[in-house]
Amino acid sequence: MKWRITCKETTALASRAMDERLPFGERVAMRMHLAICTNCARFTRQLHEMRRLFKVETEANDAVPGLTPEARQRIANELQNKLDT
Amino acid sequence: MSLNTLDPQRWLADHGDYLFRVARRQLHSDALAEDAVQETLLAALSAQARYAGDASPRTWLCAILKHKIVDAIRRQVREVEIPRDADGEEAVDSLFKQDGHWAEPMRPWGNPHTEAELSQLRRMLDECADRLKPAMAQVFSLREVAGMETEEICKELGITPTNCWVLLHRARLFMRQCLELNGFSKAGAA
Repeated sequence: MKWRITCKETTALASRAMDERLPFGERVAMRMHLAICTNCARFTRQLHEMRRLFKVETEANDAVPGLTPEARQRIANELQNKLDT
Repeated sequence: MSLNTLDPQRWLADHGDYLFRVARRQLHSDALAEDAVQETLLAALSAQARYAGDASPRTWLCAILKHKIVDAIRRQVREVEIPRDADGEEAVDSLFKQDGHWAEPMRPWGNPHTEAELSQLRRMLDECADRLKPAMAQVFSLREVAGMETEEICKELGITPTNCWVLLHRARLFMRQCLELNGFSKAGAA
């Protein structure tokens, strides 16, 4: 892994770092770039912000109505059919 | 937990709504989400002998649901395109100069507080996610909405970790860009 990486390469590593622990060389190269590049630092913060927003939104999903009575009945019938066989 | 206490109708009563919301969030369709809940409960019924009772029923049902959601998404997108498709590549390239530096500076994001701002943002997240290319949408949604680990996603979709990272990288670049173009940049935080 080279030490000096471009913004484009940094965004790929910043994205990957959200999914797994980067190997040492990549981690160091990314941190060094982020330390001096305000654009990439901001980009990385925004990716994390986006993840947080999705999480909040997924949780807010509890306000969405659940199964309709019809769907619930249909599923209950299917389960009963299977239980009876 | 003995087999006698496993009551599928109770699963439906206690967890049906929860499973439905989880599925609907990822499948964007009431009908598909209902199917996923039904398939989950039927599969749970068949597999109940394997339910050791060491996880809560909800955790166990959610694990099954996850597979049903992946199946449903798979049916929607026949093949995961290997990320070599020119569109995605060009879209990424257009954000950067030849030398790999940003073509445009990153603008700061606003910090939505009011209910109206938040609901607008929610709509924007959904709209931008809907505009992702199918292969990207699939991986992005499994990762960011379902919260699955990439290793699990790769296994489920039969793609390599590298393809997974490329798809996620492109999806995130696109999503960030989409949010910004839709006005989610204001003077302020982030």
